[in-house]
Amino acid sequence: MLIDFILLFLFAGVPYYVFFEKTKIVGKERLFLLSAFLVIVGMIVSCNFEHEPSMPFVVVAFLTSLFSLYKVNKTNNLYKLTYYILFFNAPMLFVFKTKESILYGVSLLIALLGVYLMGRYYERTYGSANYQSVSGITLVTPYAGLILTTYFTALALYPPFPNALLFLNAILNSEINLMWYLIVVVIFFGNFLIAARVMAKTVFGKPNDNVHYIDIAPKERLIHLGIFILLVILSFVGLEELLS
Amino acid sequence: MSIIEKLNAVKGTVPHYWPIGAFIHHNPLKGFENLNFKEALTKAQNTFGGKVYMDPEYYIALYNEDRIKSQKLERNLLQPLKEKNLERYLEQAKIFMLQISPLWNSFRSYEDLKVNETDEELHTYLEKNSIYMNTDMWIESLTKHMTLYEIHDALFETNEKELIEKDVIEYIARFLDQQQTTLSMEDRDLGMFNTFKLYEDIDYVVDAQTYVEEALVELKVDDVEKYFLTHILKLHGWAGYIKYRSEDEGYFAQQEHPSTLMDYMAIRLHFEVKYMQKEKINDFEKLHDYIKNNTPYAILKLLQAKGKLTGTYNDAMEEHQDYKEILDAYIKDEINLNSLQVQLAKKELPELDMGLIAFSNFANLLKKEEGYIWLKSLEDTYINQHIEEFTTHHSYNEKPLASTIFCLDVRSEVIRRKIEASGAYETYGAGGFLGIPISFIEFDKAHALNLAPAIISPKNIVFEIPTEAHDEYNSKKGINKTTKKVLSDLKNNPYTPYIMVEAIGWIFGIKLFGKTFFPQKTNKLFAKMKPKKPRTTFTIDKLTNTQIETYVKRLHINLINEVLTTQSDTSLNDNEIEALWEYLVFNKDLQVKVSQSVLDKLEHAYHITEQDYNVQKEKLTHVGFTLDEQVVYIDNLLKMMGSVNNFAKFFIISGHGSISDNNPFESALDCGACGGSISLPNARALCMIANKPAIREALKSKGIDIPAETIFIPALHITTTDEITFYDTEVLSFKDLELFAEVQKDFKSASLASREERVKVLPNAKHEKDLFIKTMDWSEPRPEWGLAGNMGVFAGPRNSSRHMQFNNRLFMHSYDSNIDNENAEILTRIFDGPLVVGEWINLEHYFSTVDNKIYGAGSKVYHNVVSKIGVYNGNYSDLKIGLPTQSVIEEGEAYHEPVRLLSYVEAPLDTVAKAVENSIAKEFILNEWIRPVIIDKAAKKVYSYESGEFLVIKELD
Repeated sequence: MLIDFILLFLFAGVPYYVFFEKTKIVGKERLFLLSAFLVIVGMIVSCNFEHEPSMPFVVVAFLTSLFSLYKVNKTNNLYKLTYYILFFNAPMLFVFKTKESILYGVSLLIALLGVYLMGRYYERTYGSANYQSVSGITLVTPYAGLILTTYFTALALYPPFPNALLFLNAILNSEINLMWYLIVVVIFFGNFLIAARVMAKTVFGKPNDNVHYIDIAPKERLIHLGIFILLVILSFVGLEELLS
Repeated sequence: MSIIEKLNAVKGTVPHYWPIGAFIHHNPLKGFENLNFKEALTKAQNTFGGKVYMDPEYYIALYNEDRIKSQKLERNLLQPLKEKNLERYLEQAKIFMLQISPLWNSFRSYEDLKVNETDEELHTYLEKNSIYMNTDMWIESLTKHMTLYEIHDALFETNEKELIEKDVIEYIARFLDQQQTTLSMEDRDLGMFNTFKLYEDIDYVVDAQTYVEEALVELKVDDVEKYFLTHILKLHGWAGYIKYRSEDEGYFAQQEHPSTLMDYMAIRLHFEVKYMQKEKINDFEKLHDYIKNNTPYAILKLLQAKGKLTGTYNDAMEEHQDYKEILDAYIKDEINLNSLQVQLAKKELPELDMGLIAFSNFANLLKKEEGYIWLKSLEDTYINQHIEEFTTHHSYNEKPLASTIFCLDVRSEVIRRKIEASGAYETYGAGGFLGIPISFIEFDKAHALNLAPAIISPKNIVFEIPTEAHDEYNSKKGINKTTKKVLSDLKNNPYTPYIMVEAIGWIFGIKLFGKTFFPQKTNKLFAKMKPKKPRTTFTIDKLTNTQIETYVKRLHINLINEVLTTQSDTSLNDNEIEALWEYLVFNKDLQVKVSQSVLDKLEHAYHITEQDYNVQKEKLTHVGFTLDEQVVYIDNLLKMMGSVNNFAKFFIISGHGSISDNNPFESALDCGACGGSISLPNARALCMIANKPAIREALKSKGIDIPAETIFIPALHITTTDEITFYDTEVLSFKDLELFAEVQKDFKSASLASREERVKVLPNAKHEKDLFIKTMDWSEPRPEWGLAGNMGVFAGPRNSSRHMQFNNRLFMHSYDSNIDNENAEILTRIFDGPLVVGEWINLEHYFSTVDNKIYGAGSKVYHNVVSKIGVYNGNYSDLKIGLPTQSVIEEGEAYHEPVRLLSYVEAPLDTVAKAVENSIAKEFILNEWIRPVIIDKAAKKVYSYESGEFLVIKELD
């Protein structure tokens, strides 16, 4: 019970919704790092204390997930997206078995780290991580377009990206009930719709003539290359898990 | 002003859009030609948005390559500076144009704003002069050319535009369809709006105009004229096509299914009212009230919708901060950025003794004028180079073995040069329809092609008829027709596709993959299946009355026969059928027994009546030419080109066309002067006429003595491959054939040389043979460069330009001013036809290059053919006007160099002035939509027409 409570607290964005959203003690640019840290702590706790999630906590986690889905659709800020997507996926970290949950969580965090770094690039280049007016980047800043497309394709659960493989692996190893079905279906399609919405607005479309576009710098490209390599490694892990 | 007058007042903003099957190049700003070029472009930019000149970087690159001369730039730069008494800053203005202008936008940087102080005085000045201080004006500018639903979408994040435009496009595409769909909309003959009433269940008696009036009242529109323009601009491709149809009485689709711009407007407003009804704010009055009560929020949402709000403000909007504060911060930042831009730019010119405010005005002047300054400097540089070469003396005295007339099209330039270099040959240029407008009905085709410029309606019909048996043709044609019919039935039946895809779907793959990966082999395979057209001739002479009556009678009797054999059991012999025909047409007594239903069918469904008999007879009177007409056409052509004596043994008249596959824009590559068709029939008709002894005799009285041994031979120049094929060579004797073989050999080597020259500039082609592959490759978006690169026209004797190499960039019309009369009739004809078409082609390329999104058709990759009238993107979009990117742009860089048509005329100034005065091209010539340059060798002067006067730009020795 206590473990469930702790995990709910760490995974589902409770600190954010309770303390940080209104008070603005921590800026949105740091909230992802804080949330990711809490999720990692949650994973460590989950690893060290055996537990079976109780239904009321799963339901609460699912409700906060739906709330996060609502919030994610109300923002065009890449920083905000990162932690909302994390909170949106929290029920998966709950209902999946520990190993599968950790593997999916790691791939999710890595893809979101990439998005977070792209948020920093947006902030530096366009004054904010808000992408609403920065449309059609694929045509004018092809590297930034490619990088963002890769992260959101991974987050949209497209194979062969690790998120999809590890998500599938976790599904195959789960015990099924009605709630499980509901959560999996909502989160599977939810991830896709979130990614599609972002890509339609900033990756594709017509470039905005009012924006002075600057592509991502070569040094930064190397950092993203590193993240791609991590995702590729995780893809192999996912494939191995699926085949085993 | 009535509603219709208000619509008429704004419809000129969009140009005609001709159906893609007969692609007509046109000036997308045709409606602005009553204004001076520069002024019109500013106005067009305010209307359509986008760009009207290339970016400064483009011109600077040309300047650095010395393709824009420094003195030309300085001369053109001096003019606007002089008007503002700033000529002493010429050097700094030049530095601004070359170094600061490309960086201008980058000086407006938030990063720099953090580390730079803004000048207070400048800030106050810019603030005072900014639009932000006048809220009403600001809102008006933000909502300019926006419909009610667009403003609603921007303010309340609704999606009405998407739904309304989709419904509009869906309806008009179905209504205007020309048999692309297998399930056509019914009752289209009622007209566009009346059919729409059935479609949308509008069940009261109302015409389009009244319906528009009602909708405007419901929407509470203040300025109706402006609102019409706003709606026209939403889908200006479709509007342009409907406008074209409604103004061309002869357009068959329009006669069948009439449509007008008022109908279109009624449809648009219907959907606007329909979708807005369910919204709280559903008319302009409510909208204005809302904006008045929520001004900061409304402005911010409008800015956001236009992509003008940066991320910081978008974040603040998302967090629902105080909108007044956000707007104030936005205004402050905008003015700070403007100040910073001026300050940082000024830093780049430390020597400039000018205050910041004065510099701000100086910079704004240069930014406003730079596009035109660069364009004119580029044109002036070319003019300078060309007149140097045009005025150097060269003489060519060798008696030619063959003279060849090519179309004046830019693509004839290389091949003409190569032919002239290959032996004793001379070439001429003339409008592709060769001055003989014909309505041509090809062998085995039922419809007529108008082979003339779009502005001319041909009065003479020419039939192509076979001169040899063609059983094999008929048999192959029959097989192909049946196969096509079976496949089409299988495809369009609701049930068969399920089985068909698995069973025979792979057959379609042969063509798809074959024409993409093995185009040559596949083409060879399919060529064997194509029926070979028999030898043909044309109906050149007028038909006699007896012939006309016989033909009409034969047509009717064939129809009666068909009805009797296919739709009734009645069997009649020839005499009885004739008697039946006489009963139907001349109301004679009916001697044979035929059921009333058959009689009704013949009378009403097949129109075998006296009225039809007379209509058909009247139509046939247009077949062929009278002797006088034939003489006039030959006389006009030869005199227009200045070829009235010293005729060569062979006089070749060449039409031209292009070959490509899977290319909806194919007709854009054919002859523009023939309404986007191949101009071979015009060439054949003229040669047939010119070879007649009676015509030659008649021409003598007009001062043209064509020797008996001169033979006119028609030919076809394929511009994709530069191959030249000769036709109707049976007129040559055996001895002539031997001599002509030499000509053919030389032309073949000229074709090869031409391909070798052209292949160097075509992407994905290394060897001249690759040009042949491009004609048959399904995946080839650029079979040839077409008219891209066109920059000018030369009207004068070939000897003045023969030594020059234009790389397919100049239209060349042969003209000898010595032959012209005192009213400059020949030159007027050149201005009325070729020059008008040249201007359309030139400006279509110009605007498609400077802003392909607005004036062009975008990438071919996304195109789908719609209703067989044009292309659009994906499932629904505006009808794409203009040229695709692949026609003018290569790997993101402009291949076409956008300049106005540099129009060189070698003639006395007076002659040119008279021609301008009498020509329909007068308006655009005087408004400088082209750059006229007159080479007056008699007066030993070269003039350029600039700012309303002829300036001497060179004195000849």
